[in-house]
Amino acid sequence: MKKILFFLIGLLLITGCTSKSTNQLNVLNWTSYIPDDVISDFEEEYNIKVNYGTYSSNEELLAKLSSSKKGTYDVVFPSDYMVSLMKEKKMLTKIDKKRFNNYENINPLFLKQEYDSKNNYSLPFLLATSVLAVNTEHIKENIEGYKDLLNKKYENDIVLIDDQRIIIGACLQVNGYDINDTNDKHLEEAKKFFLKMKPNVKAFDSDSPKTFLMTGEVNIGLLWNAEALLAQEYNPKIKIIYPKDGYALSMDNYCIVKGSKNVDNAYLFIDYLLRDDIAKRIVSEYPYIATNRNVSQMSNKKLKRILKNGSYIRNIGSNIKKYDKTWAKMK
Amino acid sequence: MEHKNKFLRNLFIILVFIFLYLPIAVLVIYSFNKAKTNIVFTGFTTKWYTELFKNRDLLEAFINTIIIAVTSTVTSTVIGTTAAVGLYKYKFLGKNFVNKLLYIPIIIPEIVLGIALLSVYTLMNLNLGMFTLILSHIAFSIPFVITSVRSTLSDTTKKIEEAAEDLGASKFKVFKEITLPLIRPGVISGATLAFTLSMDDVVISYFTAGPGSNTLPLKIYSMIKTGITPDVNALTSLMLLTVIIILTISIIYQSRKIRKKVVA
Amino acid sequence: MNKKLDLFKNISLWPVVIYSFVLILLPLLYILFLSFCETDYVGGINYHFSIVNYLTIIDSTYLLIFAKSALIGIITTLICLVIAYPFAIFLMDKKEEVRNALIKLVMIPFLTNSLIRTYGWIVLLRKNGIINNGLTSLNIIKEPLSLMYNNIGIIIGMVYTLLPFMILPVYAAVNKLDPNLIKAAKDLGANKFHVFKDIIFKETISGAFNGSLMVFIPAIGYFFISDILGGGKQMIIGNLIKDQFLTARNWPFGSAISIFLIIVTFLLVRVYKKIGGNIDELGGM
Repeated sequence: MKKILFFLIGLLLITGCTSKSTNQLNVLNWTSYIPDDVISDFEEEYNIKVNYGTYSSNEELLAKLSSSKKGTYDVVFPSDYMVSLMKEKKMLTKIDKKRFNNYENINPLFLKQEYDSKNNYSLPFLLATSVLAVNTEHIKENIEGYKDLLNKKYENDIVLIDDQRIIIGACLQVNGYDINDTNDKHLEEAKKFFLKMKPNVKAFDSDSPKTFLMTGEVNIGLLWNAEALLAQEYNPKIKIIYPKDGYALSMDNYCIVKGSKNVDNAYLFIDYLLRDDIAKRIVSEYPYIATNRNVSQMSNKKLKRILKNGSYIRNIGSNIKKYDKTWAKMK
Repeated sequence: MEHKNKFLRNLFIILVFIFLYLPIAVLVIYSFNKAKTNIVFTGFTTKWYTELFKNRDLLEAFINTIIIAVTSTVTSTVIGTTAAVGLYKYKFLGKNFVNKLLYIPIIIPEIVLGIALLSVYTLMNLNLGMFTLILSHIAFSIPFVITSVRSTLSDTTKKIEEAAEDLGASKFKVFKEITLPLIRPGVISGATLAFTLSMDDVVISYFTAGPGSNTLPLKIYSMIKTGITPDVNALTSLMLLTVIIILTISIIYQSRKIRKKVVA
Repeated sequence: MNKKLDLFKNISLWPVVIYSFVLILLPLLYILFLSFCETDYVGGINYHFSIVNYLTIIDSTYLLIFAKSALIGIITTLICLVIAYPFAIFLMDKKEEVRNALIKLVMIPFLTNSLIRTYGWIVLLRKNGIINNGLTSLNIIKEPLSLMYNNIGIIIGMVYTLLPFMILPVYAAVNKLDPNLIKAAKDLGANKFHVFKDIIFKETISGAFNGSLMVFIPAIGYFFISDILGGGKQMIIGNLIKDQFLTARNWPFGSAISIFLIIVTFLLVRVYKKIGGNIDELGGM
């Protein structure tokens, strides 16, 4: 009995110590975004223990942040509209750009965006765009936009990102409305379009929609560009299409959470990710569009075109409740 | 006719076992697969059994799971056992109420207990992490230990205890030397149940874990979403092997005991 | 009474009393409280009394999810019953040692991780998975069957995960039956169906209900199974609650659904007690 008690106390001490004494950093990031070895190399280089958690949507990030105790997380990667919302709710710390050695590596094209016009709270990390991916081996028809997905032949053949803003946004765009529209009537039309498409939808998945395309489970996907590129790498018959109705741009950013207890480590970590070699490693594993100007994936001209034709998701304030409700009804 | 009947009956039993073991067999087979995904079998290898020990995240999650399971099992067994005896022995104000409360974690859906605990931790401003995980696992284990111990308590144990007390033994001595040996099977099965539940808990851990306190089930959950690598299959095979070894030893041990009894 | 006597009483009772108040009663009261609050759009909780969450539950969207979830739970429970009864009855023919070994064999899979076992089903059930490939290469089917990312997938996963919770109590109940009773009935010319209906089922109904509770209640809450095998679109109550807490930032609504679930559970347990079930046997493995 006594032995057991000692053992128990010992264990408690061990768990108590390991969670406090070491130099650490709590990172909350998207799933499939930074390769594991990039994190472990950082841990070794700086002798900082990284507690790495993941989320699958901006809403999940917001929920995790707002329900946890202050100081639980240090670095997070919200997208554009979520940066603006978190800024508004005073959830982010002001960033001192002078503390980064590698700040100059950022392509100015991505700086000073509308959601954080002076980059006081965020620095751009990666750009994602929503695209359609089509397995041309099984889908012979020409697919140009979201309307083409209504074809009855594609029953149970589509995978969608599990993200209410992107999917409702696409259903708005197909009817010619803005991706951020909050008009009740327009949302109703978007819902109707979606319900027409629903029999063709096999699954919603944000974490790894590419797997559905790779295993041949489905032949069409509405997913992030990097996921589509990875699927294409696995199966070259998969074609990537920028929908003619428009598509979503999602700029994910480095942010430091207000109340962070490891601010210095947070700066070190972001600076590390800004390095050219690290940026290269990240996009070679998860081929999103790098914001690092020394990583050349495409010309600035092409980049500008992608930015011009896509639309950012914007913070719509309390109208988000309308989206919540529409989403619950659609799924 | 009778012969055919027997065949059909055995066939049914075999089919049930195939259903139970099929997914596990698949996982074990794929742990020897050369390819990095579980999509097609491309060739035989044992490399994942060594790769496994290089996967720090996975090992860390495994160690966390063991720490949580051991700590919560020991704590809930100690509290649960003494509580079962105390609740059996004594009358006190509100005993009925406490007894009713103790059934709740067993019957309500786990998810409800999970979100309720999360809400209270947030209310108390606790940091989510190993501590809250252990606390939550203790919370759902204690009632199972109590029920299990209670089933071995009976009027006979009560009478023997009373006799010993009448002879002047202290309550602690009675508990240690008389009650505990009598209820041992209940304590052991309660502890085993607590340990098993803790090792495999997904739902409650999902809500009460924080940064740096990943458990194996949570790690596997996130890996299922992004892609399971065969080293996880290897880990599962090893865990399965351990379970089978322990069970075999316990069966052999039990049958020896029975034989000894017969001989004696 | 001397002091020593009180000491043992205190040591054995205080921890469990504190535990049951702090980790059971308080959390439940708190979500009851939350369920009457409202929330703003970023998930902040407004502490003023409102029954809006309970009104939302009656919204057709959510009622549909409840109905579907209950249906999945009921089908899962029925399938488990249909498997567990013959299994337990057929096992009766075997010798005791064989029986015990076979019951242990039922338990082994459940001592490994339940998620990884669910994952095993993905490998088996997917469009180009082992079952579909096997059936097409044997020319039994031409087109692959849709076995997952739909309700079929969820039910297979639920039955698989929860089956032992049905087999064990049903087996325990059948094990207690008096073989002479069955023999006598057969000798009197009762056919098999009547033997089952009038004797076996009647005598084991509380065991069956125990198993049914232990299958049905988790089946409406196990969000991870519908997540993995349902393709993220087949929502059950478990997913709905999880989403309220982890993405939709609406804790009060999630709490209201939870309170609703607790009430349903209590009603079911009451029925179980009415038909003579022993509450101590619930959840016992």
